[in-house]
Amino acid sequence: MEALLTALVLTGIFVALVLAAYRASGPRCSPWPQRLPFLGGGEADTHAWQRYHVRFYTMTLVFIAFEMEMMFMYPWAVVFVEEGLKALAEMGMFLAILSLGILYGWREGIFRWQ
Amino acid sequence: MAVGGTPVFVAAGGGVLGAVEALRLEPALTLVATPRAAQVLVVAGEQRPSDRIALARIHAQLFEPRATVWWRADRPSGFDFGTGAPESVSDAAAFISAQATQSEGEAILLDDGPPNPWEGVGPYGQGGNGMMGGTPYGRPMAMTTDDLRDGLALDAYSATFGPYLTQWPPGLIMETTLQGDVIQSVRIVEAPLAQDLLAATPHLELARLLRLLELPALADRLVRAALADPARAAAGLARAVRWTGLLAAIPSALARDESGGDVRSRTAGRLDALSAGRPADPAAPGDLAAMLIGLEWHEAALVLASFSIDELRGAIASPAVRMAKGAA
Repeated sequence: MEALLTALVLTGIFVALVLAAYRASGPRCSPWPQRLPFLGGGEADTHAWQRYHVRFYTMTLVFIAFEMEMMFMYPWAVVFVEEGLKALAEMGMFLAILSLGILYGWREGIFRWQ
Repeated sequence: MAVGGTPVFVAAGGGVLGAVEALRLEPALTLVATPRAAQVLVVAGEQRPSDRIALARIHAQLFEPRATVWWRADRPSGFDFGTGAPESVSDAAAFISAQATQSEGEAILLDDGPPNPWEGVGPYGQGGNGMMGGTPYGRPMAMTTDDLRDGLALDAYSATFGPYLTQWPPGLIMETTLQGDVIQSVRIVEAPLAQDLLAATPHLELARLLRLLELPALADRLVRAALADPARAAAGLARAVRWTGLLAAIPSALARDESGGDVRSRTAGRLDALSAGRPADPAAPGDLAAMLIGLEWHEAALVLASFSIDELRGAIASPAVRMAKGAA
């Protein structure tokens, strides 16, 4: 009971301190003109809350090329010793097809940082 | 916060761009890209009377305590705060740096209220017509239009940019509609302001482009060379710029002008002019607004930096090219 009371009192003191610091640190809001976006002196005509397309299909391509490839390579690595050359040829074909996708994505500029 | 010098935002007007580049070299100052990152606002050069409200907005966006310094500038009416700096670059830098600690703050000129009041219909301002809930704070919500690239109907963002956007030539104001970062339509409101002779040297024109591509150290070297002697051939400097891969970093066939040159070839021409110690060959932008449509934001900035300020002014002066709309 005593321990609980001590904890409560300490919590109360701490909350009071935080609230006092919050009050003492001045006004909360910047003036309205300061909150506008910086457009070099210009003003926005519409709200910035908007939807635009991030073009997921190119990201999907990269995901398949680099991520799903590994999903296939783990089981392949397990059976590779048993299967030998046949498994190597299959993986070669798989990677050749995937690398076409990577080359296409490269041409489309999906590896450029924007 | 910037390392070293006092962070300063320069609202550059006319006839002062070369001097501002010289100011940038001063170790006492660090020129920053937005007023939010600055302690002092430096208003430099000739100011258009029509830019008063834009200047007041920039001033309001500084954090407190605000400090304004007028350098080689006349104060527009109503701007009766701040102090005038000495003319010479090094004296001005020391003066501006001192203002950061000496200023006791300045009141903002604009009203401290929402730019447009809330126009909802409910008792707490909520609600309105349509799915988007009316016009919060008097501005419409972004609505969908067709995209130029693939016709996806998505939100378009319209805004006026400039005249104090540091990545653009000073004084240029454009009303632009963007979808994502692709420019859908452009209306040029004001042409850039005429600048001093130093700003027209190939050194400083290249320096503008290099700063866009985040190569500030080379840009500083170019400005130093221009301050020493703009007419002297600087073949070594031109080679240093070429070896950064600058030309390869610029997208190919970007913004072909009337003579068939693109951003890359115009930049290569500037580099040749720099190594030969002569002015760069003139280019004619033609219809500038139409040239920017369909470009991404960073490409448009490169296009603007690839023309000299006089070429941009010449292209915008003819009234037929002031307006262009997207095909969509």
